[in-house]
Amino acid sequence: MDYIAHLTLNTGIFIILAVSLNLINGICGQFSLGHAGFWAVGAYTGAAYSVYMALPVPDFINLFISCIVGFISAAFAGVIIGVPCLRLRGDYLAIATLGFSEIIRIVIVNLDVVGGARGFTNIPNWSNLFWVYSWVVITIIIIANIINSTHGRAIISIREDEIAAESMGIHTFKYKTLAFVIGAGFAGLAGSLFAHAQQFLHPNGFTFLWSVIILLMVILGGLGSITGSIIGAIILTVLPELLRFFGETISQWRMVVYSLLLIILMLARPGGIFGKHELDIKSWFRRSKL
Amino acid sequence: MLDNSVILETKEITMRFGGLVAVDNFCIQLKKTDLIGIIGPNGAGKTTIFNMITGIYTPSAGDIILDQKSIKNRRPAVITQLGIARTFQNIRLFKDLTVFDNIRIAGHFRMNYGLLSSVFRNKKFHSEEKRLENETLELLEIFDLSDKKNYLAKNLPYGMQRRLEIARALATRPKVLLLDEPAAGMNPKETKELTDLIRWLRDKFQIAILLIEHDMKLVMEVCEKIHVVDYGMQIAHGLPKDIQGNPKVIEAYLGTQ
Repeated sequence: MDYIAHLTLNTGIFIILAVSLNLINGICGQFSLGHAGFWAVGAYTGAAYSVYMALPVPDFINLFISCIVGFISAAFAGVIIGVPCLRLRGDYLAIATLGFSEIIRIVIVNLDVVGGARGFTNIPNWSNLFWVYSWVVITIIIIANIINSTHGRAIISIREDEIAAESMGIHTFKYKTLAFVIGAGFAGLAGSLFAHAQQFLHPNGFTFLWSVIILLMVILGGLGSITGSIIGAIILTVLPELLRFFGETISQWRMVVYSLLLIILMLARPGGIFGKHELDIKSWFRRSKL
Repeated sequence: MLDNSVILETKEITMRFGGLVAVDNFCIQLKKTDLIGIIGPNGAGKTTIFNMITGIYTPSAGDIILDQKSIKNRRPAVITQLGIARTFQNIRLFKDLTVFDNIRIAGHFRMNYGLLSSVFRNKKFHSEEKRLENETLELLEIFDLSDKKNYLAKNLPYGMQRRLEIARALATRPKVLLLDEPAAGMNPKETKELTDLIRWLRDKFQIAILLIEHDMKLVMEVCEKIHVVDYGMQIAHGLPKDIQGNPKVIEAYLGTQ
């Protein structure tokens, strides 16, 4: 039972990560490969708060504060990285963000206060299913509300055609940075929740590979679709665990299974499971009435 | 009497790309409801002129004045907000968005609520969204696109995409509208409709229109004044009938005997 609970909790954290990366890669169309970096910033700053500065208040308030600390510090990292990088396009942006997320990791390795290469220990176990899924819901609502507003439409127009967006009076750079910073912030929030669930952080837990896996979740579900990102996150956190039941060999081959899954998906549905669409339960009812 | 003050003026703007002078000392004056055409052979620098006016390029020399204020060195988005809208030679719609959203995006900078309002969906959010929706529907009605409002832009026929692009430019409430080859790729019937549309736009919205066009029939019919450029130089300007007989213009298009 503990195992299921832990898996569910991790799934929630990855839902936040995938939905926030979707804002940058899917909605705004800026190809970022540095999400693990922001995740790490949030995890470490959130954990540092709880270890060194926790206030004498109930745990859940401390968890809340540490989530906010994680959000703000990752968003701040997003500003620092986004402002120079977002002048780049496509592949160049991907490489630059990838580089920055590695820099973040190396900095953490050399920071003795947070354990450096030994890892950060003694983080209180404050995360639980209720708080993680509360944050999942809050994240989804905030990001969905932003997308369905004029600010969200400005962000989407950048994905569709940056030059046309600019000539429609939209400050494209401002909105690219905004999407990037909000995305980074929520990754940091997920990091803080993650830290208080694992109780132990190690820089190697935030390598480039994780950026790719989060990106896979987004692409699998469909770039630009929030529901897609959620489904993608669930599939890619549950699938490796399911593969465990098929024995050691298959479990070791999970990256091969991922790749095969992706190839099949790209052949069958190049836009991801949902494409750019959202799962709209209301529309099912409307159709059934007809 | 119409208000005839100058709205847009370029003062000897020049664009150099390294050693190449793409546009040399180009001057033009647009009064409040002028309808002026720029013609010239391919590669003459017409689109470069548009790109300078809209801020995509910064002129190497000269100045651009909108409403008595210099707009040189301003960003394209700011220039649009100040009142210059444009369409593109190769249509640049937001292809995967609906017709409705294409127009709504053009109204973005006039929306008056912040990010927090969109998160918390307060009263201001709803009233502003409602206003934008009404304005958008009104504009779609004017352009006869109401029944297509939920179509994706890429699924519209070509002529309608052109029309949508013009509608989208107008949704930014411009004082000056720049049309870059609006008739490119249109059949004679669509071109005829476009001719009527352009004239009607000027009368209805009371704006100045500057257009680049290769279709001589359209230019001669619709423009009140024509500027001819060749190799970046302005070789002639004047009324359509004067331009038609101008030996320099004939030489630029057909060469010498």
